[in-house]
Amino acid sequence: MIELLAQTGLNSLYAAAYLSLVAVGLVLIFGVMGVINFAHGELFMLGAYVVVALYSGFGVPYILVAAIGLIFVGCIGILMEFTIFRPLRDSPLGGLVASIGFLLIAQALVSMGFGVRMEHVPPVTQEVIVFSEKVRLPLQRLFVILAAVMFLSLLWIFLRRTRFGWALRASAQDAEAAALQGISIRQTSLIAMFVGAGLAGIAGVLTAPLISVGPHMGHAVIVAAFIVIIVGGIGSLEGAIVASVAYAFIHTIVTTFWDGVIADITGLSLMLLVLIVRPTGLFGTTDRA
Amino acid sequence: MPSQLTRAGLWLLLICMLLAVPHGLSFSQQEILVFLTINVLVVTSYRLLALTGEWSLGHVVIMGVGAYASALASKELGIAVPVAMITGALTAALVAFGLSYPLFRMKGFYFLIGSFAAGEIIRLLWKRFRDPFGGPKGIKKIEPMPDFDIVIWRFDFFEPVSYYYFCLVVVGLSLWIMWRIEKSPLGLTFHAIHWQDKLAESAGINVRAYKTLAFVIASGFSGLAGALLAHYIGTINPNSFDLEQMVFVLTWTIVGGTATFFGPILGCAALVILNEIVLREFGFEQGRPLIYGFVLILSVLFLPRGLEGLLQDFTGALRGRGRQGSRQ
Amino acid sequence: MFVEFKAGGHTRRKFLKSASAMAGLGLMGAHLPGRAAADGHVIKIGFLAPLTGPVAAWGKPGLDGCRIWAEWINAAGGINIGGKMHPVEFIGYDNEYDPAKARTGATKLIREDGVKFIMMLGGDTWPGVQPVAERTGMLFSTLLPSDLGPDTTTLIAPAEVHPIYNVTGVEWLAENKPELKTAVMCAQDDALGLPSVATYLAAFEAAGISMQHDPLLFDPATTDFAPVVTRLISDNPDIVCLDTCYSDYVHPITEQLFQQGYGGQIISCTADFYDQMIDRTSAEFLEGFVFQFPDFDDPALNQPFINFNDPNKFFEVYNERHPGEWGAVSWEYASIMDLWKSAAEGAGSAEPGDVLAAMTGDGTGAHAFGTAEWWGEDLFGINNALVGNWPVVVIEGGKARIKEYKSIPEWYAKHGELLKKHMSAYGQMWDQR
Repeated sequence: MIELLAQTGLNSLYAAAYLSLVAVGLVLIFGVMGVINFAHGELFMLGAYVVVALYSGFGVPYILVAAIGLIFVGCIGILMEFTIFRPLRDSPLGGLVASIGFLLIAQALVSMGFGVRMEHVPPVTQEVIVFSEKVRLPLQRLFVILAAVMFLSLLWIFLRRTRFGWALRASAQDAEAAALQGISIRQTSLIAMFVGAGLAGIAGVLTAPLISVGPHMGHAVIVAAFIVIIVGGIGSLEGAIVASVAYAFIHTIVTTFWDGVIADITGLSLMLLVLIVRPTGLFGTTDRA
Repeated sequence: MPSQLTRAGLWLLLICMLLAVPHGLSFSQQEILVFLTINVLVVTSYRLLALTGEWSLGHVVIMGVGAYASALASKELGIAVPVAMITGALTAALVAFGLSYPLFRMKGFYFLIGSFAAGEIIRLLWKRFRDPFGGPKGIKKIEPMPDFDIVIWRFDFFEPVSYYYFCLVVVGLSLWIMWRIEKSPLGLTFHAIHWQDKLAESAGINVRAYKTLAFVIASGFSGLAGALLAHYIGTINPNSFDLEQMVFVLTWTIVGGTATFFGPILGCAALVILNEIVLREFGFEQGRPLIYGFVLILSVLFLPRGLEGLLQDFTGALRGRGRQGSRQ
Repeated sequence: MFVEFKAGGHTRRKFLKSASAMAGLGLMGAHLPGRAAADGHVIKIGFLAPLTGPVAAWGKPGLDGCRIWAEWINAAGGINIGGKMHPVEFIGYDNEYDPAKARTGATKLIREDGVKFIMMLGGDTWPGVQPVAERTGMLFSTLLPSDLGPDTTTLIAPAEVHPIYNVTGVEWLAENKPELKTAVMCAQDDALGLPSVATYLAAFEAAGISMQHDPLLFDPATTDFAPVVTRLISDNPDIVCLDTCYSDYVHPITEQLFQQGYGGQIISCTADFYDQMIDRTSAEFLEGFVFQFPDFDDPALNQPFINFNDPNKFFEVYNERHPGEWGAVSWEYASIMDLWKSAAEGAGSAEPGDVLAAMTGDGTGAHAFGTAEWWGEDLFGINNALVGNWPVVVIEGGKARIKEYKSIPEWYAKHGELLKKHMSAYGQMWDQR
């Protein structure tokens, strides 16, 4: 039983890691631009397909693929900012629909380019850290956990210690006041999109060798990410991380001891409960609803 | 200024056109027409809630509640299909009333996602409880609308044209009721809440009660649409009411535009015809979602007021004046 | 069409008449694929399955396989009906795995394109199509026999009688590895997984293998299988059974079994793209993995009783055109067409009723894996499923090899009651669905 709990803990840690990477990006984009990026799961998917194209296809070293994935998906984010979110700045619903359009395009292009089947990603490493007979942590999963810690720490430093980060936080809190302070909304939006998309992309790159890669893989991730950012409070990065960890642990434990459908129902019910008790999420503030 | 007479004439023309439409279509297009008519009710009821400024992602699941309730009422309890459909609509309204308590504690984006979560829970319950909801396979062999005869004409509701006429009556009536609601003081209050939430409150309007009312009415009609769908295809399952369907309803509504009653209907018709008829005719198999996605982006970029805006500009140019005058 | 004088009313004949009239019209615009010695008009076959969306992997590869089949047949002159050679053409309709779109598609294929036969994936989409099938008498096929019922008289399940053939793998395992005594199972919680769960439970019980705990059901939206696997192997079972699940789940579950240090036997219904699984685990780990779907370059498929035209060449051509996409559905739809072709040629007619009569007339049919019998009354309420031998496939040295063809009817004669017991426990008998 102790072993089962320990293994479940390791499983949860991994789930928390990649979920928080996706969720933090989503929060960042919403915070700065006030738009719900419905295509965020597809950015995750595109990250995984960078691995399919370069690593499986041409054998490019994985670490290089990770860097390319981060930058490529980040640039896709910039593309989205230029083509849809910037022209639709005053229309959050328009932005939502446009991001749905983008989602369909991304799925269709990937289906046409790679086929509808699930993709092949050879393992980067098959090393497993064996704690005991029943408690094991594959190295690739450890990569995801470490990378999440690293990228989220970097993000924290970036937001707290740089001028860009200060501008970003300022516009996330109050875009108009930030503009009065001489902060360029255009610039901060671009940075937020690049960072947010890039985080989703790197999550896709890191998990590609561990999960089934297919054109529709983004859907399950976006649903979990929505739950997490609501529970955490939409404007709050810290909230998103805390909620990711909590959600991952609860979901994994319920899956292990009951089943997956119950786990989904539990997750959603807890989220509703949080909203009923505290309609702005655990870490949210009332003025950004 | 259109006189009473020309107005009546226009209505008559519209009705004749609606009656004549299916006879100019191919068999499969007639099928699509039936689904389109049902979807018109879905988007119009969706707009009723949107009037208050709240956007829900649970509308399609509520539609499913109507479908499940109606299917179960006729299948398990043996209630006649038309009565079962009304039962379905009432059940959907009732479920919406129950959900309104937690949901209207939130607003804006929180409401959007909260409604999505509530909908997902309902959908997972259908999946989880095989008795009576049938689990992931859903419910099969739902009673069809019984055939009936009017003098020497036989309405066989397997035939899409028959069912289209039936839907036309039901949807037409529902649309008329929603139209009346919007033009009544109640509808004006909904508008007021949308524009000035706080102000309405200080004017003594119980905002939450009105939002709940809009939500319940919209859900009832959505449930009715679900019931219409269920008794036509004869089968429903949890995936028929998933996020993907909801996304379609959302895009139809927004692409059409929500400023007028007819915007969402326009959006729904245009996009369904595009996706189900035009793109299929041209033989795009895998490219269909691609082109649809581009159309979505281009329409929100270049038609900020939706298709209705385009139509208004067009008719405005034709008549040389805006629509405000004819509204009275 | 909707209003009809009472005296008239729709008859099946009338529908088919209007259908063939439409077909006549359609002929004017039809392009004949390739040159052939054909002198008859084109016979159109409908392909009504998901071609886009998350379930596309169960339809699209089948259409690709059928297009190869059609090329071969047309190059050889076409289908011989009453002495006239007819070329054959497939018309696809993407139903997006949605019952309403499937209904629309069936209407289009029958009443506008004038097809003679429609192949479907089945599942969620069949109940939407069933009223159309009843009215028109069109012949349909499904890959999922759980769609069958006493009133689906024009629906056949001729390629795979999922999940009944899964008993052969368990039977083979019990005969060849009698030391394996305990098993666990995980399954996707849907129309595909549940009947298969009941079948495996019956097969394990018949083989004297005990289950350590109830089958672990997971939601098809699961992405991380680590928790499922952790739970699954917590009591050190001899056998892990993956039931019937999408390859998107078979792969990560197998990989998790590898990473969490499992060393026992694995049995699964499918192992599509198993070469990738080997890449992600190891050839040693997958050695002895039992499943049910052979690669078509298997020499055991060249035996005389196999009714699939040149399987090795088909496999080769398919892989050339669609590298890495070979899976179970790639050949199944094409094998249904083999059966249909021989029935139509035997009947001297392509009309649905005639073909069905010729197909099932003597109670047997030429299934891809040998002559089989039309069966299913007990489980499906109708004898429209073609059941005979099925191969047991084992991974050996990194390659799937057919070990043995085992007879499903023989197993059923001995253990039929067990299967019925477990099927009713999971609500999968025809009168429970």
